[in-house]
Amino acid sequence: MTRNGPQFQGETTMKSRAAVLYGIDQPWMVEEIEVDDPKANEVLVNWKVAGMCHSDEHFVTGDMVPPKELLAMMGVDDFFPFVGGHEGAGVVVKLGAGVTTLQVGDHVSASFVPSCGRCRYCSTGRQNLCNLGAGTLTGGMITDGTHRHHVKDGRPVKLMAKLGTFSEFATVAEASLIKVEKDLPLDCVALVSCGVATGWGSATNRADTQPGDTVVVVGIGGIGINAVQGARMAGAKRIIAIDPVEFKREKAMEFGATHTYASMAEAIPHLMELSWGEMADRVIMTPGVLHGDMMGEAMTMVGKGGTCVVTAISPMTETSADINLFQLAMWNKEVKGTIFGSLNPRADIPKLLDMYRTGDLMLDELITKRYTLDDINEGYRAMREGENIRGVIVND
Amino acid sequence: MKTTAAILWEVNAPWSVEEIELDAPKAGEVLVKIAASGMCHSDEHLTTGDLPFALPIIGGHEGAGVVEAVGEGVSWLEVGDHVVFGFIPSCGRCPSCSTGHQNLCDLGALMGLGMQVTDGTSRHHAGGKDLTLMCMLGTFAKHTVVNEASCIKIEKDVPLEKACLLGCGVVTGWGSAVYAADVAPGDTVVVVGVGGIGANAIQGARLAGAKRIVAIDPVEFKREKAMEFGATHTASSMAEALPLLQDLTWGTMANKVIMTMGVGNGQMIGEAMALAAKRGRVVVTNIHPAFEMGGANMSLLDLTLMEKQLVGSLFGSGNPRADIPKLLGLYREGQLDLDGLVTKTYTLEDINEGYQDMRDGKNIRGVLIY
Repeated sequence: MTRNGPQFQGETTMKSRAAVLYGIDQPWMVEEIEVDDPKANEVLVNWKVAGMCHSDEHFVTGDMVPPKELLAMMGVDDFFPFVGGHEGAGVVVKLGAGVTTLQVGDHVSASFVPSCGRCRYCSTGRQNLCNLGAGTLTGGMITDGTHRHHVKDGRPVKLMAKLGTFSEFATVAEASLIKVEKDLPLDCVALVSCGVATGWGSATNRADTQPGDTVVVVGIGGIGINAVQGARMAGAKRIIAIDPVEFKREKAMEFGATHTYASMAEAIPHLMELSWGEMADRVIMTPGVLHGDMMGEAMTMVGKGGTCVVTAISPMTETSADINLFQLAMWNKEVKGTIFGSLNPRADIPKLLDMYRTGDLMLDELITKRYTLDDINEGYRAMREGENIRGVIVND
Repeated sequence: MKTTAAILWEVNAPWSVEEIELDAPKAGEVLVKIAASGMCHSDEHLTTGDLPFALPIIGGHEGAGVVEAVGEGVSWLEVGDHVVFGFIPSCGRCPSCSTGHQNLCDLGALMGLGMQVTDGTSRHHAGGKDLTLMCMLGTFAKHTVVNEASCIKIEKDVPLEKACLLGCGVVTGWGSAVYAADVAPGDTVVVVGVGGIGANAIQGARLAGAKRIVAIDPVEFKREKAMEFGATHTASSMAEALPLLQDLTWGTMANKVIMTMGVGNGQMIGEAMALAAKRGRVVVTNIHPAFEMGGANMSLLDLTLMEKQLVGSLFGSGNPRADIPKLLGLYREGQLDLDGLVTKTYTLEDINEGYQDMRDGKNIRGVLIY
């Protein structure tokens, strides 16, 4: 038996409906794009479900669009057009040459950080930092840098995280796909591929929550709600969830929070009282957008020897944070960044899905509403208004 | 094509150096012209039968060479690349590989078969028979065909006759101290057995900041070598080391004890545990006979009450793809001694003489140069 997949023969280009962004502050345009067949080490995926993550919204607002000078350094002329979507689950349709880990018909989870399995970071259990991630915001394929996707006028189009789950079909590198078992609902798989893993890992892995800890989660969206369940599973004694939206505070209680407050300012005196002045062991920052001036209150909530984990996206060009460095030193506090909750996609996506199978991880309850691709702008409006924990796009 | 290889046809026989037939690499495989191979004790375990393998087998698992041809679908190696073989393959995708434990890659399960990873067949033939490969490598040969999962690409500035040692002995010894024992600055460390593994456990303990390194070996030449690699004290046996350690540590004993003997012996584990301090850790790196009878002779009460730990370690608990390049970097910077490890070099035809020298305790490491 050879593990090499068959090389595809036949059609070389297909049409797919996709949500395309043509510039900052513009709506998603749902239209046809052209998708080329997979080349070596690539596969064509039919995305069945896409999660509507806040990170895609960051491209609409421009928080994650590199400024002109940076684009020039990256060798990119124009950032747009851009197909969104990096949370996804789908089915493998075609294989390029040399694909060894996937077959046609396999169910796959997207992985917004690729994992080559061979670089220094992949080799030491830090796949979330795979060197292939360096090109995430540039266009073209991971494999050879050329484009497989074009909009109507013939221009090449970038894919969010080189996945583009807001397209019904996309050609994606094998390194960005994780095979999953077929008994798992694809909407659950899609959620785990980014938001669930990122939030859960922020609490369990990066914050290293211990039994008996007091944990604060700031911002209860698709990430924060999973930080709450991660902290619960790691044995936290108290989990304080902070969000201005009442519906989200209620959701947080369902997922394991013990206390909720509308703001950090409101939480601080209560936290002081609850902890007899010791404050929190872990503070996890998962607001929709993080700004440096929010870090002062966050660090106030961190107790001696405590940890603040920064998971949320801040505007790319913001360079200062309000942190009292005297207190950081004297109280031995730490601030840690995390991407993908510091987890390993190939090990942890299947692991989390198995925890769903055994009933330990709540996934169905995360989905507030399902949308069609055509309703994408309505879905993001609902997210901005705080109506959703997570909306998902389902392609029939 | 034809090439030359050292074959073991039966247990307790000498290595037979002869011409073999080598097939072209299939999908996912590469043909490598081997430049040098370390003569590790594990291959000797094949001849004694301590490591039972399907015979006839081409020995050798510490090798380095140059890629001469690549099969279909090979994605990260090209003709002309310099490679060190990992004695355990690393697929990069299984649960162990994905969490920083490449030394336990699931492909290692196929190692006992000694055939190709891809399809379980052989590319090596002699006398009308398929040959198995030690660690799916067979580096006691001038050429081999192996899976790309077994190849770690390295920079071309490092001599291959030194780089080959990174495939097993150096990382195994160094990692036994640095990763498995987790030697910390100020620790007292004991290394039991100073061969190709033990000498590198000493180097690892030194780099990790050990205060005292006590090297134990019955052979005087090896105790002298141990001092060159960074040992601070030596003893000829664990029995001799016991009062020495009591004296040196004011009775608190060693934080880490690393077992790197030619062949392990369960009856000696109790002695090793006695050298360990409260919360001390004993790392078992050396090979014990597969069918050793009598188990491990140790006090489990002592284990509990003194919170001691007994830990196994394969490939020094290191990751081939990260640690082989990392240790070559330390060699390049002059912080890891590879040159001093090689006591003598041999031609492939002299392999039996080389193993006799090893048995006689003359070598830290013998290396075959092709």
